[in-house]
Amino acid sequence: MNSLHCPFCGVRELHEFEFRKTRANAGRSGVAEVYLRVDSSELSVEYWQHVQGCRMWMLVRRNPSTGTVLGIDALPEVSR
Amino acid sequence: MEPDGLQPRYSALSLVRARLSSRPFWRPLWGGRRLQSAYDVVVVGAGGHGLATAFHLARDHGVKRIAVLEKRLVGYGNVGRNTTVVRSNYLLPENHYFYEDSLRRWETLSRDLNYNVMYSPRGVVDLALSDDDMGRLARRGNAMRLAGIDAELLDCAALNRFCPELGVQTPRRFPIVGALVQRRGGTARHDAVAWGYARAATSLGVDIIENCEVTGVRTAGGHAVGVETTAGYVKAERIVFATAGHTGMIGAMLGTPLPIETHLLQAMVSEPVKPLLNTVIVFIFPGHGETYIAQSDRGGLVMGGHLDGFPSYTREGRWDRMEDVVAGAVELLPQIGGLKILRQWAGINDMTMDGSPLLDRIRYDNVFVNAGWCYGGFKAIPASGAAFATLVATGTAPDLIRGYNLGRFDTGHTLDESGGGPFPVRQ
Repeated sequence: MNSLHCPFCGVRELHEFEFRKTRANAGRSGVAEVYLRVDSSELSVEYWQHVQGCRMWMLVRRNPSTGTVLGIDALPEVSR
Repeated sequence: MEPDGLQPRYSALSLVRARLSSRPFWRPLWGGRRLQSAYDVVVVGAGGHGLATAFHLARDHGVKRIAVLEKRLVGYGNVGRNTTVVRSNYLLPENHYFYEDSLRRWETLSRDLNYNVMYSPRGVVDLALSDDDMGRLARRGNAMRLAGIDAELLDCAALNRFCPELGVQTPRRFPIVGALVQRRGGTARHDAVAWGYARAATSLGVDIIENCEVTGVRTAGGHAVGVETTAGYVKAERIVFATAGHTGMIGAMLGTPLPIETHLLQAMVSEPVKPLLNTVIVFIFPGHGETYIAQSDRGGLVMGGHLDGFPSYTREGRWDRMEDVVAGAVELLPQIGGLKILRQWAGINDMTMDGSPLLDRIRYDNVFVNAGWCYGGFKAIPASGAAFATLVATGTAPDLIRGYNLGRFDTGHTLDESGGGPFPVRQ
């Protein structure tokens, strides 16, 4: 994985982006949202930011075993 | 293969005898055992922690029937992929007492295992490249000294005497201001640690079974009763998971969310050169991030840096991180600029939400997890093996690892060494 496709800027090199956190997937409690994760070798859903570009956040779906990017979506203006 | 438990004791005398004898002396250090149908303790993962746990269960607690099941080969994972640094220069009490216990065990480990792990107390130097760095290191050093752990804050003149190769006085963009040194820290031969524990455990009757993947846990009445493996079902009184890097998958298998994300840490080694650096140097170069560098006994400069920065199981490092690490190293030691990188590799790390390990029961009262070592697992092996074996054998965690329980995230007693918050990537 050497580049990502920013929904706003197009394909850019990986170093322009910063991984922020994985999306909580272990329940609705505060502790689960902040601290707990259910791991998967096939799918990782992550928040990234194009810090050295448009600075927009995006939701990236990746396969962590192969590094393949499965999809990148811009985050809606108001999430959830 | 030879039946084991008959390992010859290594000594100067045994070397001489082997030289004079016409019979082959060297035997396989482990292996040749068949998987039995039932065990008192099944340890999943034949890395440093799994093997050390099995060794201490057998030696200190007299547990008779122990199996160590390994998906691939002994020492295939992080115990053979780390950069071999051992140290105990931590800030938080829970961490520095634990790692100090480990460092004391490193000092006698070769004797305890009757296997040379090549522990080399060549010192670990944390460089300060700014006054801020110096303040941060002084704080950490003071915390260590209050706990009776050796730490010295060196100014430039003292650092120059300790490590003249650094060229402290050389004019630089970011001049060296000072350093925190732990002289008892250093390196050890990582593979030898896995081999030594495997050999010692085998001599005590532990069955080490390679190429045997655990695929599930069978339960009855809220109890774990055994593990499903690719070699069939195995009954177990107690189950221990020491599967660093894949503990997230164990959590998924058991249906237990864990405070763990899985990240990559890469390392690289240059072509071998004559002795150049007689200590371990750690520093954060502004603009390049962290670099640590040491020279292996073979002569290669072993380098590493920060995590790749996003979850991954690929064991492939990202290119720009490698560039950062090397750039930092060359800024500090311009004389290595002409060297070639010989090899580069990556290990898969359990990164916890507070950067500290997990040694606790998981899901069932007879299932235990030894995980979350982030990038500090190698130096922890001797203490972790001893303390975790006590937890598994007696059911009570010794004081040394009580802080490493799984419930600390619920109660707010996290051990956040770096102060980075609940973000594994910042630990």
